[in-house]
Amino acid sequence: MRALRLLAIFFAMAICALPARAQKIAIISDHLYTMDGGAQGGPGMVLINSGKIEAVHAGANTKAPAGYEVYRAAYVTPGFIDTDTTAGISGAYNIPHDQDEDEATDPNTADVRSLDSFNPNEILLSYINQFGVTTIQSAPGPTNPIAGRAGIFKTRGPQSAAATADQLAMRAESAMIFNLGEIPKETYGKNHKPPMTRMKTAEIIRHALSDAQGYQQKWDTWKKEGSDASKAPTRDVRLDALLPVVNGTMPAVFTAHRADDLITAIRIANEFHLKYMLASVTEGYLVRDQIKNAGVPCLVGPIMQRPESPQTVNASYEIAALLEQAGIPIALMSGYEAYVPKNRVLLFEAGVAAANGLGMEKTLRALTVDAAKILGIQERVGSLAPGKDGDVALFDGDPFEYTSQVLGVFVNGQLSYQRK
Amino acid sequence: MRGTGRNFSAVVLATGLLFLCLRVFAQESSSSGTVVVKGAKIYPISGAPIEHGVLVVTNGKIAAVGEEGKVSIPAGATVQDATGKVLMPGIVDSHSHVGIDANPAVADSGDENEMTGPIEPALRALDAIDPADPNIRMANAGGVTTANILPGSGNVMGGQSAYVKLRGTTIEQMLIPGTIGGMKMANGTNPKGYGRRDLAPMTRMEEAALARGIYEKAQQYQEKWAAYHKAVAGGDKTAKEPDQDLALDPLVQILEGKRIVHNHSHRADDIMTVLRLADEFHYRVVVHHGSEACKVADELAKRHVPVSYTMIDAPGGKLETINVDMSCPAILEKAGVKVAFNTDDPITPSRLLLRQAALAVRGGMSTDAALKGLTIYPAEMLDLGDRVGSLQAGKDADFIILSGEPFSVYTHVLQTWIEGQKVFDRSDARDLRYATGGFAVAAHYPSLPEGAK
Repeated sequence: MRALRLLAIFFAMAICALPARAQKIAIISDHLYTMDGGAQGGPGMVLINSGKIEAVHAGANTKAPAGYEVYRAAYVTPGFIDTDTTAGISGAYNIPHDQDEDEATDPNTADVRSLDSFNPNEILLSYINQFGVTTIQSAPGPTNPIAGRAGIFKTRGPQSAAATADQLAMRAESAMIFNLGEIPKETYGKNHKPPMTRMKTAEIIRHALSDAQGYQQKWDTWKKEGSDASKAPTRDVRLDALLPVVNGTMPAVFTAHRADDLITAIRIANEFHLKYMLASVTEGYLVRDQIKNAGVPCLVGPIMQRPESPQTVNASYEIAALLEQAGIPIALMSGYEAYVPKNRVLLFEAGVAAANGLGMEKTLRALTVDAAKILGIQERVGSLAPGKDGDVALFDGDPFEYTSQVLGVFVNGQLSYQRK
Repeated sequence: MRGTGRNFSAVVLATGLLFLCLRVFAQESSSSGTVVVKGAKIYPISGAPIEHGVLVVTNGKIAAVGEEGKVSIPAGATVQDATGKVLMPGIVDSHSHVGIDANPAVADSGDENEMTGPIEPALRALDAIDPADPNIRMANAGGVTTANILPGSGNVMGGQSAYVKLRGTTIEQMLIPGTIGGMKMANGTNPKGYGRRDLAPMTRMEEAALARGIYEKAQQYQEKWAAYHKAVAGGDKTAKEPDQDLALDPLVQILEGKRIVHNHSHRADDIMTVLRLADEFHYRVVVHHGSEACKVADELAKRHVPVSYTMIDAPGGKLETINVDMSCPAILEKAGVKVAFNTDDPITPSRLLLRQAALAVRGGMSTDAALKGLTIYPAEMLDLGDRVGSLQAGKDADFIILSGEPFSVYTHVLQTWIEGQKVFDRSDARDLRYATGGFAVAAHYPSLPEGAK
């Protein structure tokens, strides 16, 4: 009886110990990049408790407190932030069943949200997690001039617990995506539908934003006149979706490649006083003074995009460095891919930026703390500081070297991937 | 008619003279002195790395390779000090579409897939390659010196590939003398594209049947010619020469072992179909892409069939590549399969070919096998192993100078040389834009400060 009771206590303890053990983690590193100010890359230790970073200790020979599960890695960084990707909504199989990024039936789909397409079990999400990407802004694809709303999500790895899209969402509606350039006009123009020209793409966007302003005025007037329910304006979900954009509470993301398309984005954003950012920014180096003067942050990439179509033929591996040198706030993005590979790996894209003028530490900033600031999520992610989410990536060498290995990844203090 | 004939002769003469001039010019510039590069760490591929090496080039050929101090430097040679740099053979891309899928990729520039019939052995890539394609200059910037430029994979038999050096302004200057190229074949998803138009092939079964059908036809054609030659040799003056068939001639070259089949194939079962056909008709084949080749590594190894592997960054994009894995080249290496790396340009831009092999090292491959996979193995897959792919006296002087170790992300290709001629120099402002991108707007391209480069 006594033995049985002991056994029962032992099992009960074991069960309790499992989650408890996973709750307290110490990560010790020779090269710790907290990205939280000060010198980076020295030895140190990060303590995680209950999913959040509890403390960071600099210096060699740090010892983990009792009760902490210890991990060691040569290089440790915050989990990476992919600021614009279709991961989660554009699946690996590339068949109609798993392609949910482009609602190419109407050039204005402001009312759609990536959240409602987001598949938390998509294998590409798990794949990018294994390369240190822990946060993504999952955005509708490149087809519609007004493509809908992006959301910011945590990724899941092969060892993560099951989760719903809503559980992974840090911000269900993070930005409104606008697309300029070739893709909208090619998609619709070939069926003799608008837009067939860049002029029309700009007009569709201006028209919608103008309508949203008018719609806001209607509501303002209605409120001023006493908010009589019987006289309320008719609700319009598409205009509702654009209200925070014209009111400056939701950022607009303009995806554009060619220099003139980037300038069009700036022109529209200024006209409607938008809070906004530029994405891809392929020829941004040709108009970096204008981008700098506009004070607009840039989501740059993919760095290794093919210099293939007329709008990407001038793609440069130095784009991130050239913009950063000009004093423009930058983050990195992997974007959308239509074929092979179906999703780019942010770590790899970043490596090429690092090797082409941006350098290791500035590239890390663009992947972590600067990306978090640009997306407005720096209170939770992007650096290793007490109180922030336990999102950490562990490497056996310089994270950007082709032959380095990712040893492990933590999301919210849970091990999502560990190299065998 | 006679007049036309005379004009034709005049053209031939003029062309001949032009070629002569070009030859003289080419020889002058390459023999304007012997070129020597010294001090670099040399990966000769044919032997162990040399820490402080010397490479001597004369008349476009390698005259000597060895340790500094042990190789005599000819008097009057142009000597380049490359101390602290790395030197290795020019990269051989065993699967590329540069020039035939030209930049920018608009409807007019793509000439790789003749989607009007699934069996097109008479087509020649060389008739569609644009030597002015900037993708070729970008390939130079990535250290690529030799390429197998192939038709696309839309057809079961897409046409004859071209073995070229990535230099020159005409395809004649690019083609490697004495080579006839390979034959592009494909199976799996891509040729099934016909099925969407209710045309054959709609299934993998039909793809194999179409291939088998054309090889059987080629065998009969081959027998007809053999019978004719035998009759003539036997003194039969009435023997009638068979009609020549442009489509079957290259297939006879395959059956005779003179032309290698380059077979696009991803899935393990498709690769087995490739092997089954090659076994049946006794031809030499290279498996290209090979996304699931590691699943049938032993089958490849026992037949000595090599793989020209396409490394891609993430799985999917098509059903056949859903299982791609960076460790595949390492598994093939362990099984004894020779692996080359290719770009499949434009799938991977040629500037990134070194990177593809580096990722295989990340996946567990030895650096030795990865270096061979960029040089001597692809050369062998094109029957060019005696000309290129390693730094040995007598071979073509195709080499690259790197800023550091080949498989570091921070390493840049500094210079690319083909047959003793420099075709890329990173210190040249215009060349640099083929390496970084931005070549079309080079005049307006802002420079990074020295320290940031």
